[in-house]
Amino acid sequence: MAQILADRRDIDFVLHEQLKVEALSAHGRFNDFSRKSIDLIINEARNLAVKEILPTQVDGDRIGARFDQGKVQVPPSFHKAWKALREGDWLAMTEDPDWGGQGMPRVVATAASDYLMGANFAFMMHAGLTHGAGKLIETFGTDAQKRLYLKKLFTGEWTGTMLLTEPEAGSDVGALTTTATPNPDGTYSITGNKIFISGGEHDLTPNIIHPVLARIEGAPAGTAGISLFVVPRIRVNDDGSLGEPNDVVCTGIEEKMGIHGNATCSIALGGKGGCRGTLLGEANKGMRAMFMMMNDARLMVGNQGLSCASPSYLYALNYARTRLQGRHLLKMMDKSAPAVPIIQHPDVRRMLMLMKVHVEGIRSLFYYLAHCSDRIAVSADPDEKARLQGIIDFLIPIAKGYVTERCFDVCSLGVQVYGGYGYIREYPVEQLLRDCRITAIYEGTNGIQAMDLLGRKLGQNQGRPIMDLFDEIRGTLAAARDADRAAPLAEALEPAVIRLEEVARHMGTTALYGDLPTAAAHAHPFMEVCGDVVLGWQLLWRARTAAEALAAGAKEKDVPFYEGQIRSAQFFTAVLLPVALGRMDAILSGCAVAVEIPDDAFGGK
Amino acid sequence: MEILVCVKRVPDAAENEIAVEGGALRGDDLVYSVNEWDNYAVEEAIQIVEREGGSVTVVTVGDGESEEVLRREMAMGANQGLLLSDPAFAGADGLGLATVLAAAVRRGAYDLVLTGAQADDGAAQVGGMLAAILDWPFASLVNSIEAQGGLLRVGREIEGGAQEVSEIDLPCVLSIQTGINEPRYVGLRGIRKVASVELPVLDAAALGVAPAPARVRRIDYFVPPAGAGADMLTGSTAELAGQLVELLKAKGGLK
Repeated sequence: MAQILADRRDIDFVLHEQLKVEALSAHGRFNDFSRKSIDLIINEARNLAVKEILPTQVDGDRIGARFDQGKVQVPPSFHKAWKALREGDWLAMTEDPDWGGQGMPRVVATAASDYLMGANFAFMMHAGLTHGAGKLIETFGTDAQKRLYLKKLFTGEWTGTMLLTEPEAGSDVGALTTTATPNPDGTYSITGNKIFISGGEHDLTPNIIHPVLARIEGAPAGTAGISLFVVPRIRVNDDGSLGEPNDVVCTGIEEKMGIHGNATCSIALGGKGGCRGTLLGEANKGMRAMFMMMNDARLMVGNQGLSCASPSYLYALNYARTRLQGRHLLKMMDKSAPAVPIIQHPDVRRMLMLMKVHVEGIRSLFYYLAHCSDRIAVSADPDEKARLQGIIDFLIPIAKGYVTERCFDVCSLGVQVYGGYGYIREYPVEQLLRDCRITAIYEGTNGIQAMDLLGRKLGQNQGRPIMDLFDEIRGTLAAARDADRAAPLAEALEPAVIRLEEVARHMGTTALYGDLPTAAAHAHPFMEVCGDVVLGWQLLWRARTAAEALAAGAKEKDVPFYEGQIRSAQFFTAVLLPVALGRMDAILSGCAVAVEIPDDAFGGK
Repeated sequence: MEILVCVKRVPDAAENEIAVEGGALRGDDLVYSVNEWDNYAVEEAIQIVEREGGSVTVVTVGDGESEEVLRREMAMGANQGLLLSDPAFAGADGLGLATVLAAAVRRGAYDLVLTGAQADDGAAQVGGMLAAILDWPFASLVNSIEAQGGLLRVGREIEGGAQEVSEIDLPCVLSIQTGINEPRYVGLRGIRKVASVELPVLDAAALGVAPAPARVRRIDYFVPPAGAGADMLTGSTAELAGQLVELLKAKGGLK
């Protein structure tokens, strides 16, 4: 039967064959997560996703979040799905059981999210942001703040958000003007206007907890004067019960291209002077806290990209297998030849291959990143922890910026495979394309991601993280050379790895000692080629794993799957890697035209 | 009330392409899950225990792989699991399975035994046979249960949309119809709870049974070829719907 949302065989392959995650269960904190438990978790995540969350996908899009006089209603079907999500404890899968979490390895939670988010990521944003807000309170909160808010967030009794953006402070967070005035009782009065607040208002839960970035009166300008506050929508009494409304008012929601199921709110804080918040963490250290949350949020956005791309691929694949149209290319002249499923047409196969390699490579990347976090959690070696964290930090802008660009491409191909029907709302690929588009923009546009990679991550710790990443890649290259059919693929990938090292040095030198604007103009292409090599690495890792399984005598039903893994890596190295190498040449050319062209020469005046 | 629910690991009809080889489903290719009807029986048992007290035990006859369905139903809320496993049970027919299950029932102190109305790959016979072996009363296709002192009031679905209500003495065996409830989802807390639970396994010796060789044997299994009078439509879902509408119009079913 055709699978939907995410290919179960592929998920199992990455978890158990590529990464062998069951080894985590040897460590005390992950004892409960044997292979059997992991498989059961994935089964049940899929069950819940397909039966409860997927039916909300179209409602989210067509009914959408509705705004009326300061209140937002989510589509009615969201309520039942939220209840099921809460009852199953799916909101804080990886968190501390003492606070309502389930203590799961991140890699297993990532796999479960493949289904949960794949079913409706606009709905699941409520859960993701709630988790993020909870994590901030867990990390930086006082005992009282944790007691009041944490368990209620991690169990989904209330939701959480993040109030960061203002009309004049988007990518430039330091420009924000929301103010916090100290009160005698230790609280702060918050005044300001926030925009683009996902899930900022809704009727899903009785309270919403807003972490808010604001500037304490008299604090320094820029990011050095920003503090973080906890601002509940409804005030919470000491005993945990709900008190008075907190003068947090939703003044409108945006009409968007996609993710209609999640209200994007404008929020007025303290319009009547009655908004109270408590400081979260240290004064003027709000940005530091924000960065911690942002790393997780950026990974989540990358995952959202995949949660559009993976379903789009499976829908397109199934459509291509069943849609009869046109004669086989080699029987074009035979008028009596039957129409064939469009999967038999070479150009459709080309599109499906592009979709396949990206969905699979990106899935492996996310599971790998999550698995690195789990390995940090169980490691006792501080050097190993630092090494893995460095690799994660380096890969985050790629897992957000590169990944969401490719996922949008995949969704676009999904529409293309359907032809005219793909452009019609009745078919699911149309919504996935629209929903996916935001992922390249929010949580730091992909341009910001590229600058993060170039400006912060590349030179971090004297370039240690990128060198460690190259070591990991070389490890895979070496192992693949001994793996039969993967050996020529390793040969094909290696020159691109060597070339990327050269490009990275060039970019680092240009940014530091040469011409920063030109380097910045090549930052996005640099992120793209890093992403291509990382994708090639993951695909090679898969191919090697598959080649070994085939050589060892795979079960009959697994043979086509493993064959597909080797074919993916072949396609990538033969068809896409040369393009990446061409891009690398373009970067090394140091072309400064985009920087130097006079503004007027863009024309249009 | 002490309730035993018989569950079965079956090829998942939603997951498998039907691949037939040598008169049987090709085992290597199959994805398994809990028989759909059994989930309703377990949910009903959990709800009864929530109201009346007692405990729910899930039992299955099968090999080591079958443990996963017991664990799943325990994660859902059943209190205990019991695996009946012995090479001698392999290939058992309905009567053989009922014999083994009856031995397990006699070892416990159950007030009520539930089965699914049928299994995806079964013949809807084990529940009735089990009741006969135990000499307990039996009601099939049950779609409502209400405990009333020492007996149960059960509703049964009758052909033609009618509903029959009966009183039945305890202990008894009931086969449960889908739709009696909405089986709950299995959550993470439940899965963690059963992650390291050791499940008791009883073999033929422990149960004191030696099921007779199967007297019903499957000799063939295939997907029937399209016969005369059957029109197999092909194409995408949208095309199928279009063709169906045209057919209905042509045959006068749609004006």
